[in-house]
Amino acid sequence: MTPGIILSSVLLALVLLLALVLPSITSPTVPFGVRVPDGHVGDPVVVAQSRRYRWRVLLSGVLTAVAGVGTFAATGATFLLPVSVLLLLGAWYGCFFLANQEIRAAKAAGNWYGGLHQGIAVDTGLRSDPPRFPWLWLAFPVAVTVATAAIGVVEYPSMPALLAVHYGAGGQADRLAPKSFGTAFSLVIVQVIVTLLLSVIAAGILRGRADLDPAHPQASARWHRQYASLGARALLGLAGMIALGMMGSSLLMWTGTRAHWAALVVVVPVLAGVGLAMVVLARYNREPQGTARETGLTHRDDDKFWRGGLLYINREDHALMVPRRFGLGWTLNFGNPRAGMLLAGVLALISLAVILRFGG
Amino acid sequence: MILALDLTSDIPLYLQLRDRITEEIAEGRLVEGSALPATRALAADFGINFHTVNKAYALLRQQGLIRLNRKTGAVVAAAPVDPLFHAEWSAKARTLLAEAIARGVPADDVLDACQSMLASFQTPPTKDLP
Repeated sequence: MTPGIILSSVLLALVLLLALVLPSITSPTVPFGVRVPDGHVGDPVVVAQSRRYRWRVLLSGVLTAVAGVGTFAATGATFLLPVSVLLLLGAWYGCFFLANQEIRAAKAAGNWYGGLHQGIAVDTGLRSDPPRFPWLWLAFPVAVTVATAAIGVVEYPSMPALLAVHYGAGGQADRLAPKSFGTAFSLVIVQVIVTLLLSVIAAGILRGRADLDPAHPQASARWHRQYASLGARALLGLAGMIALGMMGSSLLMWTGTRAHWAALVVVVPVLAGVGLAMVVLARYNREPQGTARETGLTHRDDDKFWRGGLLYINREDHALMVPRRFGLGWTLNFGNPRAGMLLAGVLALISLAVILRFGG
Repeated sequence: MILALDLTSDIPLYLQLRDRITEEIAEGRLVEGSALPATRALAADFGINFHTVNKAYALLRQQGLIRLNRKTGAVVAAAPVDPLFHAEWSAKARTLLAEAIARGVPADDVLDACQSMLASFQTPPTKDLP
């Protein structure tokens, strides 16, 4: 078993688990990305679609795993394994979209919003007294980055003259570069950029617009506060774990250590960070449903802004990030020109990291 | 402070916003000197046009409930006692009460409702007129 097989199987299992768990941790008023009024939360159509969705996802998971392992065993081509993860993601979206369309059709046919008062609610306290930036959590990635840089400065004279800057699929260094500030500290630069980027996103989440449920705005605002600070802390924790991975990889590079497990030094902390952030967000993802109706209002039907149930495109909305309707955390408003720029920045960062470590 | 607007109502959004802020003042959550959110920020949070918020603030200023200042933004003002206001308000209240009676609500129930609403408003301390 190569690390590639293990990694792909773990990814397949994680995607499958997330796909099966998500419907029960997303808000019951937005089943499969369709906004439904409180009175239709347990509608028979929604219940039937949830059951059907689970079966479809499970079947797709088993089929992709069998097909992926089968073709790999027959051909031995390693690239088939990540392809099977992509296939499962595609199949997952297909299952989601089928449920989304069925519920939308039932909603339109039954005129679920007929006679209801659709409203919007704002808590001005979120502006005048926004949730605080978790500076203490920022200390984690900053400390790791500073420690890495300090070790690098101290060790620089004793580093080998040739540094491994690229590893092949088997974990063997297949490209070496003469020692210089740029090559030795390339991963420290990645640490700095990742920490900066995730801090900016965390600040954006804390200042982001809350999508309050006007049926019980008070409880909704309280939940938003907690979820936003949790999201910010999770992102900074993730930044710290990525920085740890970069630190480990830098140490291997600086000591000239060659090992077949070298890739795990990066992959394990990053996956652990992503996994922890997801578990923490998943546990608090569902907004508690208020018991008392305080206002007689119901959340407005905003389905038209969510293309395909997942992509938020609203040109009139100035918000850059909005809470996801199906999934964990936040998503970009693709109707906002700044979203494109942010996306380009993240893609550039990822390609930079890939080129530095594994590309070529 | 929670502000909620009904998008399906016949009442225009700026009037709803004016009503909600007036209620916040009556309930004592906004007191003299309290700052109201900036128009653009509030409009962005609601996802509505900022002219709508401007219009609501202009109306509140006209009624003497808030002060608009370039430096401090919109601030709740000490409402002056206006003899014209009383007549205007009485006419509005008369219509509202008439609506209840015409719909067959017993007068005692109307009175009870009025009393419990008044009780929910924190009566602001009376001030001597200058």
